[in-house]
Amino acid sequence: MSQPAVHPVIDVRGLHVRFGEVEAVAGIDLRAEAGHATALLGRNGAGKSTTMRVLAGVVPPTAGSVLVGGIDVAADPVAVKRRVGYCPDVGGLVPRATPWEHLQLAARLRRLDDWEVRARDLLERFELGDVAHRVTSGFSHGMGRRLSVVLAALHEPEVLLLDEPFDGVDPLGVEATQAVIEDARARGASVLVSTHLRDLAIQACSTAVVLRGGAQVAAMEADELSGEAGADAYRALLD
Amino acid sequence: MPTARSSTDPLAAGWVRAVADLGHLMRFRAATVRRPRTTAVAVLVLLGVTLAASVGPLLVEGAGSGTVLEDHLGAMLAGFLVLAIASSMASGGGRELVPREQAAIHPIDHRTEHLGALVLAPLNFAWLLQAWLLLGVTARITGSDGWLGGQAVAAAWVVCATALAQVVGWLVETVRRTTHGIAVVRTVAVVLAVVGVGLQATHRLLPLLDALPTHHLADAITVRDGARPVVLALLALTAAAVVAGALPAGVALRRTPREELKVESGSHPARSLPSSDLAVLRRIDRGSVWRSVPMRRGLVVLALGPGLVALGGGMDWTEVLVLPALVVSGGALLFGVNAWCLDGRGALWRESLPVEPGTVFAARALTLAEWLGSAAVVTIALAALRAGVPSAVEVLALATTMVVVTLQVVAVSMSWSGRRPFPVQLSSARATPAPPIVMVGYSARLAVSTTLTAMLFSAAAQTPAWWLVPVMAVPFLLWSWVRLRRARGWWVDASQRARVVVAVAA
Repeated sequence: MSQPAVHPVIDVRGLHVRFGEVEAVAGIDLRAEAGHATALLGRNGAGKSTTMRVLAGVVPPTAGSVLVGGIDVAADPVAVKRRVGYCPDVGGLVPRATPWEHLQLAARLRRLDDWEVRARDLLERFELGDVAHRVTSGFSHGMGRRLSVVLAALHEPEVLLLDEPFDGVDPLGVEATQAVIEDARARGASVLVSTHLRDLAIQACSTAVVLRGGAQVAAMEADELSGEAGADAYRALLD
Repeated sequence: MPTARSSTDPLAAGWVRAVADLGHLMRFRAATVRRPRTTAVAVLVLLGVTLAASVGPLLVEGAGSGTVLEDHLGAMLAGFLVLAIASSMASGGGRELVPREQAAIHPIDHRTEHLGALVLAPLNFAWLLQAWLLLGVTARITGSDGWLGGQAVAAAWVVCATALAQVVGWLVETVRRTTHGIAVVRTVAVVLAVVGVGLQATHRLLPLLDALPTHHLADAITVRDGARPVVLALLALTAAAVVAGALPAGVALRRTPREELKVESGSHPARSLPSSDLAVLRRIDRGSVWRSVPMRRGLVVLALGPGLVALGGGMDWTEVLVLPALVVSGGALLFGVNAWCLDGRGALWRESLPVEPGTVFAARALTLAEWLGSAAVVTIALAALRAGVPSAVEVLALATTMVVVTLQVVAVSMSWSGRRPFPVQLSSARATPAPPIVMVGYSARLAVSTTLTAMLFSAAAQTPAWWLVPVMAVPFLLWSWVRLRRARGWWVDASQRARVVVAVAA
C-alpha cells in the first residue's frame, strides 16, 4: 500500500523579488510541511525577511510561485493572510496603540470569537499582562519582540512566520517563544523561524534552510548544524 | 609668541565645533535627498520668488510714494516676530535637522541643535510668506531711491527676529519640561490669547504694535537714510541672540520631554470591540493621531490661531469663509501629507492582517478628513462669536466651502502619501512628517490651491444667486473625488502598497 502524498503547507518555487534595481530574492525554492518547524538561516541580506514578507502577503512576488495552504499568495493575498500569523523583523507594532488595541484589531479582522481568554493567557506567558493598556512606543526592544510573537500566535494560525523572534529577548521570553513554536507544531501548524541564533534555531526547529545572496544554498535536518561540526558546516555555507 | 587658539577657550571651541557639525549634518541631509534635481529647482524657485518680492514692487506704478503701508510698517515688522515666536514655540524650540531617533547615537551638541533649528526656520511657508511680504512692502515704500538700504534693514530684521524667536522658543520649551511646566505654558498661552483678542476687539492691538520699538526700524526704512548703522545693530543683536539661544537650548534638551513622554507612555483602558472592520481601523488611526504631541499641539495652534484672529477682528461671514481653507491646508501638514507614517514600524504587521486594502484606505482618509474638519469647526465656532447670526445662504456657502476644501486636501494628501512615503515617527514635538524642503513645497501648493478655492467661493457667496456656490462646488468635488479614487487605486495595487509599507516601516 502506497503512502499518501504529503502536500507542503508552504510551497515556494523560483521566487524572485526585486525592488527597483535590487534583487532581494533570486530564485528561492522552499517547502515546509504541517507539524514541522523550519529554520531560515543566512547572513544579513540573504533574503530571509523578504521571503517571510512574501509568505505573509505583505510584499508581492516579482516572479515564481508561492502557495500557502494551497493558496497562491499573488492571486489571493487576503486569504493567505487569514491562514498566516506573522511577526515582522523590525518593530511590528503601531507606536501609539496599546497591546490590547493591537489584539482587538487582529481579533476583529480575523473574525475571532472568545479570543480574550487566550489573549490574556498569551500576554501573561510573555509577561506583558501589566502593560496591556500602555502605549507601545515606550516599550523596550525585547518587549516589542515578545508582543509581536503574541500577535502572530493569537489566532493559532495554520502557518506561523517568526522573523527574528529571539532578537534582544530575555531568557524567559525565549522560553515562551519556544513554547509557542512547540504548541503550533503540536497542533499541526507549519512554523518558519528566521534567526541568526543558530543554537536557538536548532532547539526550536526540525529542519533548516540556508539562504545566501537571495538564493537557497542548503536544506538539511536542524541537528546537522549542532555542535562544532555543525557550526563549521554552517560557516562554510555562509562564505 | 604662539598665536593658536588657547585650549582654555572652551566656549569659542564649542561654537567652532558646533558650526563644523552643522555643516556635517547639512551635508548628510543633502546627500539623503531623494530627488536632488527637484530640490535644486525648488531652491531656485524660492530664491526667484524672494527676488521677485524684493524687486517686483518697484515695477508697479506708485512705488516710493507714501502709502498707508508706511504707517503700519512697524506693526508688520513686529508681527513677523510674533509669527516666528509662535512657530518656534509650536515646534518645541525648532525643527530637527536630523530626527531624534537618528541623532541619538551621535555626539551632537546643543549648540548644533540650536543652529540647526535656526537654519531650518525659513523652511516654513508661513515664515517665507511673511518674509516676502515684508520685503515687498519695504520695496513699495522706498521705491528705487533707498531700495538697497530698505531691503538690507528688512532682511536683517527677518534674520534677527528669527534668532530672537528661537531664544523665546527654547525658553518656553525649558519651562515646558519642568514639573508643572505644561500647565504654566498653557496658562500663559491662554492669558496671552485672551489679552490679544481683547486688544484686537477694542481696536488697541494695531496702535500697540505700531508703538513697539520696531517703529524705529520702520523709520529707518521710510526716511531712506541711515540704514547702515541699523543693519549693523541688527546683525549684532542677531549674533547676541544666536549665542544666548544656546543656553536655554542646552537646558531644554537636557531635560526630559515630559509632554511627549506623558502622551506616549500613557495607559488607555480597554474599550468594547467595534462592530466593523472600518470602525476598528479608524479607532487605531484616531489613537495614532490624537496621542501624538506634534499633531495635538499643531492642531490646537491651527484651530485657535485663525479663530482668535477672526474673533478679535470681528470678521463677517464672507471673510470667515476663507478660514477653513487655511486651517485645513495647515492641518494636512501635521501628518496628512505622509498619512501612512502613522503606523511606523507597525506597518508591516498591519499589512499582514486579512482586510481589504480599500477599507484601510477609507479608514485613513476618513480619519484625516475628521481631523481636518474638527479643526475647521473650532475655528469657525470662535469666529462665529462675533460674526453674528449667519443667513441661510451664508450657512450653505460655509458648509459647501468646508466640504470642498476638506475633500480637496484629503485627496491631495492621500495622493502624496502614496507616492512619496517617508519613515517618520512623529513622536517629538520637533518632528515633521516629511523633510523640511519637501514640507515647503507641500505647504505652498496646499495653501495656494485651497486659498484660491475659498476666495472663489467667498466671492460667489456675495452674489444674489444663492445657488451659485453649490453649483460651483460640483466640478471641484468631482475632480477631488477622481483624485481620491486614483490615490485609492494606487494604494490597492499590491506592489505600490508594499513599497509604501516597507518605506514607512524602515
